[in-house]
Amino acid sequence: MGKLGRRALVLLVACLSLFVIAACGGDDDNGGSSSSGSSGEAKDGGSITISQTSQPDYMDPALTYTVNGIEPLWLVYTPLITYAREEGQAGAKLIPGLAEALPDISADGKTYKLKLRSGLKYSDGTPVKASDFEHAIKRVLNLESGGSAFYLVIEGAQDYLDAGKADGDISGITTDDKTGDITIKLTGPDGSFTHVLAMWFAGLVPGDTPFKNLTKDPPPGVGPYMVTESVPNRQFVLERNKEYDKNPIDGIPSGHIDKITTKIIKSPQRQAQDVISGKLDYMQDPPPADLKPEVKAKYSDRYEEITTASTYYMFMNTRVPPFDDPKVREAVNWGIDKPGLARLFAGEVAPGCSFLPPGVPGFDEALDVEDCPWGNPNEPPDLEKARALIKEAGVDGMDVTVWSNNDDPSDKVGEAYADMLSKMGFNAKPKILDGGVYFQTIGNQKTKAQTGFANWFQDFPHPKNFMFLVDGKSIQPTNNQNFGNVDDPEITKGIAELNKEPDLTKAEGDWKDLNRKLVERAWIVPYGHRKLATFVSERMDFENCTRFHPVYFNDYSSFCLK
Amino acid sequence: MATEPATETTLQGPAAWEEEADREHVHGLGPWKLGLRRLRRNKVALLFGLMFVLLVASCVAAPIWAKRVAHTTATANHLSDVIKVDGKDKNVVGLDGVPIGPQWLKADGKFLLGADRNGRDIMVRLLYGGRNSLMIGIVAALITMFLSIILGVVAGYFRGPVDAVIRGLLDIMWSFPVIILGTALGVALALGGLKIGPIHVAVYSLTIPVLIIGLVYVPYMARPVRGQVLSLREKEFVEAARAQGAGPIRIMFTEVLPNLASTIVVFFTLLIANAILLESALSFLGAGVQAPNPSWGTMIDEGVDRIATAPHLTIVPGLMLVLTVLSLNVFGDGVRDALDPRAKVRLEH
Amino acid sequence: MGRFIVRRLLQMVFVMFAVSVLTFFIFQVIPNGDPAERMAGKQPREAQIQAIRREWGFDDNKFVQYYTTMKKVFNGDLISYTTQLPVMDEIVKGLPRTLSLAFGAAILWMFVAICFGLYSAMRAGKFADRFLTIIALIGISLPVFWIGALMSYYLGYRLGWFPNGGYVEFTKDPVDWAYHLILPWTALAILFIGFYSRVLRSNVLDTINEDYVRTARAKGLGERQIMIRHVLRNSMIPIVTLWGLDFGAVVGGGAILTETVFDLQGVGQYAAEAVGQLDVPPVLATTLFAAFFIVLLNAIVDIAYAYLDPRIRLQ
Repeated sequence: MGKLGRRALVLLVACLSLFVIAACGGDDDNGGSSSSGSSGEAKDGGSITISQTSQPDYMDPALTYTVNGIEPLWLVYTPLITYAREEGQAGAKLIPGLAEALPDISADGKTYKLKLRSGLKYSDGTPVKASDFEHAIKRVLNLESGGSAFYLVIEGAQDYLDAGKADGDISGITTDDKTGDITIKLTGPDGSFTHVLAMWFAGLVPGDTPFKNLTKDPPPGVGPYMVTESVPNRQFVLERNKEYDKNPIDGIPSGHIDKITTKIIKSPQRQAQDVISGKLDYMQDPPPADLKPEVKAKYSDRYEEITTASTYYMFMNTRVPPFDDPKVREAVNWGIDKPGLARLFAGEVAPGCSFLPPGVPGFDEALDVEDCPWGNPNEPPDLEKARALIKEAGVDGMDVTVWSNNDDPSDKVGEAYADMLSKMGFNAKPKILDGGVYFQTIGNQKTKAQTGFANWFQDFPHPKNFMFLVDGKSIQPTNNQNFGNVDDPEITKGIAELNKEPDLTKAEGDWKDLNRKLVERAWIVPYGHRKLATFVSERMDFENCTRFHPVYFNDYSSFCLK
Repeated sequence: MATEPATETTLQGPAAWEEEADREHVHGLGPWKLGLRRLRRNKVALLFGLMFVLLVASCVAAPIWAKRVAHTTATANHLSDVIKVDGKDKNVVGLDGVPIGPQWLKADGKFLLGADRNGRDIMVRLLYGGRNSLMIGIVAALITMFLSIILGVVAGYFRGPVDAVIRGLLDIMWSFPVIILGTALGVALALGGLKIGPIHVAVYSLTIPVLIIGLVYVPYMARPVRGQVLSLREKEFVEAARAQGAGPIRIMFTEVLPNLASTIVVFFTLLIANAILLESALSFLGAGVQAPNPSWGTMIDEGVDRIATAPHLTIVPGLMLVLTVLSLNVFGDGVRDALDPRAKVRLEH
Repeated sequence: MGRFIVRRLLQMVFVMFAVSVLTFFIFQVIPNGDPAERMAGKQPREAQIQAIRREWGFDDNKFVQYYTTMKKVFNGDLISYTTQLPVMDEIVKGLPRTLSLAFGAAILWMFVAICFGLYSAMRAGKFADRFLTIIALIGISLPVFWIGALMSYYLGYRLGWFPNGGYVEFTKDPVDWAYHLILPWTALAILFIGFYSRVLRSNVLDTINEDYVRTARAKGLGERQIMIRHVLRNSMIPIVTLWGLDFGAVVGGGAILTETVFDLQGVGQYAAEAVGQLDVPPVLATTLFAAFFIVLLNAIVDIAYAYLDPRIRLQ
């Protein structure tokens, strides 16, 4: 055979063995989507493949706190109270979920009484018990979920947390499994608590659900869909919850599509291209700015933009120079180019000055545009004034680091904002961090971040959900969400007072007032509100079967094929 | 069929030149002059060499272009600006976020190649980016050369335990997965700069990518240098020098180094080319030059996001990169052919 | 021979050890926040942070920490800071993809490079040779991520000739698997085709002048027989060794760019994403994995070479 021959044989064997390893990969990727057997008459049935840009932080109702997790899971786990499945303002209405009716609130606002519907079963057939509610809340607290802060207002919750024992008791929650009665006592009146009860964190799970992160094997729930497969970083699958379909709850309709496979595809370009070509049926994020013109021009019959209750703003750290000087903060508000920033979002940000966004009570349309104290946000900024104020404050030429993350287009925003600050007289440079570590980093006081990118999408339609971002009481050494360390005693007091009022219509005027004071005092630099999109493939029935919910965005239970 | 005459298929290229040299009776010239002659005859190599020089020159002239023609800087955003093109007003960045394409000379040289998403002038960024990329490439190549020569010569000359230690060190460097580590270091150092005792390197400094790239290629050059030194060591002139009582350092400088010169020269062009490519790769991954400073790699990274509406953002910096590296490679190839036609000078084991 | 192999393997172990120590200490120096805090998740309590500190030994001295971390690596206990998921699982999932990419590209580049190099050498000095040389030089000047991005967009999306990135398991559909990999293979191979074809060309040109070739000609062997049996075989020796090293280097890190551009979700892409987040455990694990591959292939190549050339065994 000769030397070459033998050598080649050795290599060939090595190659073949590597080949075998390569070929015997794990089993994950599904193929494309399949359609239902019958076409035409029944709008029910079929499978679709959808995409998200990154893996949900958790596939566990007690822990998830990103759109990626919330959008699918709110259809899997229903809390005692939930929102109407409608678009726009109608969707912000609270309706009974697993409870028979909205809570009976005592006169002093501290006691909430509810009754569990009878005959409810989880997706695996287990009957639902009233005590499951307490168990769900315990998981949120014990696992130190990002949402635990919302439930600390319950009496005994702090003690439970401090005791550190999973099977401890929360004194403020009493349940009776026989009658289905649930009584919740709060430490003080909280006007937003019914909304807190409607958050996905309080979605009921069986009483024996373990106290650990169940991303790889989510627990059963009550809802139109259930999670049948969860492979982190690759995909997860939702299928219709047959147990739920036997007896759906009024106001929470069953889904149409039988099987929804969500794939994690890191490139928004690819996702958009695949939705265009039909390989994907829906993408969670809006199509990237790059492909928007094409989508708008050619596929407007399956594409729509909706303004969400969100605010994009720059934080200014009031504990660190130069933003400890109110003149400087005013200067930035005068000099920031809002229409310019809107361009970076390809028109997906509507320029505005109000901190509370449209859709949240307390939003002031006049303040947002015409009556904006810093000039109409659709007009160019007043650079002269900005420069003058900065010179006056004596910080001309100072070094400023602008923080942002690399999620598109936040990085461009960071660069543009730095350039704007430089035009105002600073020596500003951007610092771009990975999206996964950004908020933790600027939320850590040790970082001493001076200014940078921030945004907030509502968790529920109550002004408290936004105002806590500028509440002096919510400042923390780590995981701080009040990035600017805003501490205005009048505003802090106002928030605490208005919080107690359970009836939002009464308090709305006062919230409006607070919003205005916040903006006028230049504590933050809001520059607009975000529009998100619904973009689906050809085979989806866009006309009749797409519903954009104000809190939960695209409602998968509304999806159906043509 | 009769076999073809042996000379037909064999003596082409470098070997042919040797024969040619024999025929022309130019043995009297030293190796450098001979090399220069051969190089001069290689029109293609000269052409590409010229191209490289032009590319470098235009990048060096970046400030002139920026100030006189484009009236902007590499980092100034023009998001909301309006410019006059053929008398008409045009948004630099449209309301839908799409930047204008190449304007060529229609706007007096402003936005010659168009704008990027932040409204920055691509031509200006291209030239400044080129400056950064070239600077990093050349300095990194110098670092590599310097370290490789020291390590290679010392290892090859002294042999024994010194050689073993250096070879071990090279083995370890060789085994490091370059891109992963380079990216990790680049990203981490971008966060807080480098602080080792008294040495403090700022975040925006280009020193970090330069150091990383400089270190990475050391084993690739050190080994061939060592190999050559090993064989040079046995040659008569070295023996003679030793006999004269010259110490090792003197011998290394006077006898060994000059004979390595042609190897070094050839390697140098290859090193610059590879360094530039590596820098662009690291910048593409976010670990090289940091925003808002431009480099060809970061521009490609920014451009890929916009490839559907503004392909020039990706194509233009890529072309500059390719042309620069290509011209270096072709010229370097020509230099190798000219100086040492028989030398097996490659970046190899 | 046996002694040489043992020596070489020992060397391999030593180098891996040195790499692991260096990597570990490099990550001690660079700033990445308090690792215990990061691992504790979004709203950590002091007790939990302390528990993590104890388990990982963050308060112990560096050497103990090194030992604990390495133990975790080999036990598969290494958890990512950001996703809280085991790192080894992700690497195992990504391995077949990276190997598919590297392997297919390697075969492609060898095949094409041999053809180009040989043809170039046989037509040395003529137009074909010059043309192929320019092509080769262009090949080694193209940045892989740039050409990959352009191919993916124009050939994948606009013209639709190829899929738009992504990966299909071989076990699910071998044809689709190959179809998805054609563009990535090509992008990755272009660089090496350029390089290897030129090396082969110059090797062949040198070999042609060797005495034994002249002897073969004198014996009356046909030109083609000479080419294949004598010239090519002997020119291939350095090529094969280079191939082994480059394959190792590709798996070890060259694949990152291609995987990222085509979204193949292999080990390289995993490493790149983890690096962006300063997620130390995956970066540590992938660095070790990549180094292991390079070192292993280095050793295999050296052993193979020593087998062929007895002189080397004695070094």
